[in-house]
Formats: sequence, C-alpha cells, structure tokens
Amino acid sequence: MSTEQTDPHVPAQRTEEPDLSSAVSDAAAPPLLEVEDLKVHFPIRRGIVVERTVGHVRAVDGVGLSIDAGGTYGLVGESGCGKTTFGRAVLRLEEPTAGRVRLGGDEVTALKGERLRRYRSKMQMVFQDPLGSLNPRHNVDMLLSEPLKVHGVGSKAERRKLAVETLDAVGLPKSVLERFPHEFSGGQRQRLGIARALMLRPDLIVCDEPVSALDVSIQAQVMNLLDELQDEFGLTYLVIAHDLAVVRHLSDRVGVMYLGKLVEEADSESIYEHPRHPYTKALLSAVPQPDPEVEAGRERIILKGDLPSPANPPSGCRFRTRCPWAEDICAEVEPEWREAASGHKVACHFDL
Amino acid sequence: MSLLEVEDLRVAFGASVAVDGVSFSVDEGKVVGLVGESGCGKSVTSLAVMGLLPKGRGRRARQPVQAAVSEPVDGGLKTAAAAPQAIPASGGRGGRGGADVQGRAVFDGVDLLSLAPAAMRRRRGKDLAMVFQDPLSSLNPVVPIGRQITEVLERHRGLKGDKASKEAALLLDRVGIPDPYRRLREYPHQLSGGMRQRVLIAIAVACAPRLLIADEPTTALDVTIQAQILELLRDLVETEGTALLMITHDLGVVAGMCDEVNVLYSGRVVESAPVRELFRKPTHPYTIGLLGSIPRLDLPIHEPLTPIRGSIADVIRWRDGCAFAPRCDRVASPCVDGEPALVGAVHAHRCVMAEEVA
Repeated sequence: MSTEQTDPHVPAQRTEEPDLSSAVSDAAAPPLLEVEDLKVHFPIRRGIVVERTVGHVRAVDGVGLSIDAGGTYGLVGESGCGKTTFGRAVLRLEEPTAGRVRLGGDEVTALKGERLRRYRSKMQMVFQDPLGSLNPRHNVDMLLSEPLKVHGVGSKAERRKLAVETLDAVGLPKSVLERFPHEFSGGQRQRLGIARALMLRPDLIVCDEPVSALDVSIQAQVMNLLDELQDEFGLTYLVIAHDLAVVRHLSDRVGVMYLGKLVEEADSESIYEHPRHPYTKALLSAVPQPDPEVEAGRERIILKGDLPSPANPPSGCRFRTRCPWAEDICAEVEPEWREAASGHKVACHFDL
Repeated sequence: MSLLEVEDLRVAFGASVAVDGVSFSVDEGKVVGLVGESGCGKSVTSLAVMGLLPKGRGRRARQPVQAAVSEPVDGGLKTAAAAPQAIPASGGRGGRGGADVQGRAVFDGVDLLSLAPAAMRRRRGKDLAMVFQDPLSSLNPVVPIGRQITEVLERHRGLKGDKASKEAALLLDRVGIPDPYRRLREYPHQLSGGMRQRVLIAIAVACAPRLLIADEPTTALDVTIQAQILELLRDLVETEGTALLMITHDLGVVAGMCDEVNVLYSGRVVESAPVRELFRKPTHPYTIGLLGSIPRLDLPIHEPLTPIRGSIADVIRWRDGCAFAPRCDRVASPCVDGEPALVGAVHAHRCVMAEEVA
C-alpha cells in the first residue's frame, strides 16, 4: 500500500483503466508477476519423543513463470501435482522453501511481518469451496467489509458503499447485504467469494478451482463473470484448475504441471492445438468431449497407473513411469526446460 | 421387452418431490444415461430402483393403481407424459425421513419396487449392482479389500475360503489392479482413488450382474484416471453384455459412453433421445443451455459461453407449467399454462415451444 506509486517499475497497473498501460506499452512493460524457481517442500517427520525429518514431500519443486498485467495464466494438472500449493506459495499463504516471487517489481518473498500483511491487499484469492471459505456467522456486509477493516480503508459508510458497488459488479443486488452465506446457492456464494477478493481492488487474484464445485450451467455464469471483471477492474489472474476446457476458456497462457514441476507452457491456442509433452497429450485425449461423433473417432492415450509419490519422485523425467514413449535416457537424464518453438516451452527429451 | 423398464417413478420425501414421474428403459448390452445437475433427481432415481431409499411409513406396495398408467411401452422410454397431475399431496404417507416411492421398475419381468426386502436383497448385488461416486465412503474402512469382495461371492455364489479368494483375485485382475493377491490383504485407505473405484467395480461385477448402475462413477477422479475407468466400464458392457445405467452430470462422459440419453430437470425427463440425435439436434431449451454452458476444446478459443440464467432454485411446479420456464430464454405464455407433455417417440422432449424453437 505504501510504495507502489513511487516505484518506477510499475507502470500504473493499479489504476482502474488498465488498457492505457497494458495495451499501449505491451512490449516494454515488465510482467506483473514473476516467479523464479519456486520450491515448497514439506518435511516428513517420524518419531515420538525426538522428531526427525526423514524426507520431504516436494509439492512444488522448481516452478518459474511470469504473468503480464491484465493477463490470465492457467495452471493445470491433476490432484497432487502441486498446483494449489504453488498458488498459495505465490501469495505467501505457504512459506516457500526456495525461489523468488515478484509482484510488480516488489519482492514478495522478502517481505516479513507487517509489511507482508499490508502487501496482501494487492493479491487476493478465490477459493474452490465457496461455503467453506465464507464465515457462516458473518452476513454479507461483514464478510465484504472485513478486508477493508483489516487494511484500515475508509469509514463505515465508505466501506458499505464499496461493498454495494462490488456486489453490483458481481451481479448481486444490494439487498443481500444483511443475508448469511447459507441463504445463497452455490453460484451466488462463489460470486460472494469473488466480491470479497475484489474489495481491496487487488492487482492479482489467484483463483483456485473457481468453478469446479459448481453445476455446469452455473460454471458458465461464473466464468463469464470472471472475464467481465477482468476488463472492468484490470485484474491479472492466476487460474488453477484441473479442467483443461475451463483453463483453455479463461487463460491466455497455460502451464501444465506434473509432480511439482512444469512440463509444458505455451499460449492457450498452441498448447491445445499442438501439445508437445506426452503428459499434455494424454490429458487432452482423456477429456471427454460433449460430441458423440468426436468421441467415437478419437484416439485415446490411456495412461497406466497413478501419480508416483512426490516424496520420492522417479529419477530423470518424472513422467517416465507412465509415459508411453519413455526410453532409457528418460530414466537417466532429467529433461531440460527448453523452448521448442517460439513461446512454447516443454520439458521432454523428444520432439513428439 | 427391455431388461429394466422404469415407469412413472415418483419419489417424495415428505412434501418435497424429488422424482416426479420418470420413465425410461435399459436394454441388455446398452448404456443409458441419466443426465442432469444437482437436485434433478438422478441419484434418487437410481437409489429407488436399487431399493436403497429409506422406506417411509406407508409403503407403496398396495396401490400402484394410478401409477401404472397402462400405456404402450414398446418404444422404451417416455410414457410419463400422460400422467394426469403431479404427485398427489403425499401428506402423511411418506414418514419422516423416509421416501415415498411410487411407480414401477420392472426388471426382467418383476417389479422391483413391489419385492419384499428379503427378495430384493437376494437380487441386489447379484442381478443388479451399483457403483457409487465416492469409493472411499462406500468401502468399509476397517475391513480388508479381499473380505469385502469375498462377502459378495459367499452370499450370492456360495464360494468359500480359498476358492473365494482366488475368485476375488481374478476379479481384481479383471478390473486392472496389478498384484491382486497383495491387494486383497490391504485396506481401502492404502489404495488410490482410481484403485478404490476399480475395487468397487470388481465388487459390483463379482456376480456378473445383468444391470449395473453407475452413479457418477468418475466424478471424484482425475481425467486420466477417469479415462481408465470409463474404458473399463465400456469393456464390461461390450464383453459381458451388461446393461449399464450411467448417472452423470458430464455431457462429455455421456457423449463417449451412452447409447441413449435422458435429460432430467427438476424430477422429470425433459428430453430423451439416442445419443447422436441428442447432440446433433438438442430440442429442449435446458439441453441446449447445458450444451452452451460447457467450454469445449474443439471450438474456437474464447468463444463466449451462453449460460443458463438463474439457478435450480427458480422453479415452478410441473403441474403449473414447465419447471424450467423461469430460467428459459424462450419462455412464452403456453409454458406456464398447465403441464407440458413429453412428445415424440424416438427423440422425445417436454417443451411446448419446441416447434417454434426449431
């Protein structure tokens, strides 16, 4: 809250008319969020009297990415791949073991205590389970003004005014202010979750599975809402989801995670048109398409087995134990993270 | 005559009606889908067929008179239409917490709903079996996998001891679990989600049932594991000729698995058709809305979605008009003027405006 206006590296991405900055000076603007080699390892402890650390679950094991202001980065992967931990570590809700996170030029990973707390107003999160993330004893007014109170923004009347404006933005009437979370449907609750994240007018919103708990017809409403809000408030999103179609729909750039690492990254058009990593290919071929003609003629890559344990990942390429194309080299050498085509990065020894 | 014919099934919990006159049929070796969103009654339908709903105090058995509307059922589905009105105020009959079930579910010539509990128990697990959504809560956490499979084999096939374990291992092998003998001694928490679902399928197919009901069998699983499980189910249907009733909310799963589809909304079938027909020419605005709500991998990127407005809470009773009318973009006055009928034979829909729409 204190430094952003004077920082020369941050071209006005906090204003509410982001088009000026992001559209005009596209090439020059540094990315809003830069993550370098982020690692989050959780210790595995054994022992009753004396606890010893016997190993680490490498939930996130060296992930780097950047998101331009006003852009949307979609992170996909299956359960246990570390995508949620990554999202939480970016917001410092999880303490990173190593690596750096920079938001608008400020190093988030270096912040501590009060400065970190104040910094959180710039980065907010939308959670998967809208009921579990809203306090059942708070009415909507309290839920929405809470972040403002925490950060000491405005008077009571101003906070209420802002709450009404934000409710309007997410498509809920003013009359809901006095109501409690249990009185809403799943879709409305998710709107409230989004409204709460918006209250501080953050730069970055991490959406962790924003629609996976919702019914199909409601999913579409919430996805459209996220799109509209991005334009209206100049938001930058990190969308974490397991549903490839949802990620494709929302994102400009997509990264695929497997067992704590990125295996492929490209803009959403080319990753779906020309997937290069065998895991991405398998994922895409596994998504059922709502079209019987397409389904009948499809070639499926059925992966064998389950995800290996992230406490003891396979040597070399982590995907080799399930990869239909694996060869000897895959067990010996870890594939480098290379640019296979312009803007299309992949971690695989082969050009598939 | 189909293997399973559900006719005008109605289930009410006290005053709230979950299933409001659903009819469909499942043929041997076919996969029939029940599709809809939460609260449409698809799971309750399957539980009613399996006789797994808690019984209300006044049991239905003695008066299926008005339920079994005598209509030709040759084409299979879609007979519910003519049922005169929505469920008669069921006050008192469904006991507290119990379900009041009416209608017929004829399996191989026998109405399952009229069977005594003991007779139903003899069939359940043997002639018809079920796979549930959440494999962890459907398996007993303190009993080894092996015991949970041999239990079924003992009860319905009279296998004991080594013979039973050997058969159990074969079953695990059949559903693609490596090292089956070791797995037999393990507990559910030692298996991954996909493995647990395979165990459930192994239990379900232990007695080679003629009908398998799968209630959201892959919803809790990752896509790559989902693909494995769907492949396994597909294989069962093809090799054993099992009839599969597939309950799901995922139209992608429907497109890949089903032969016939019934779309449910607010306790009724609103559209039913062979799968290709349904996707080529969706007729009911709800089906159209569902299809428009899904982001698809094979359409141009950033194609805007066309969601259905409102939520299932915005509903009117079927006897007053179309329950979907409050959310429908094509709503007109005939929609709220009495009960819409299910029209059409092969491709049936319950929309009075359908002609104008098409």
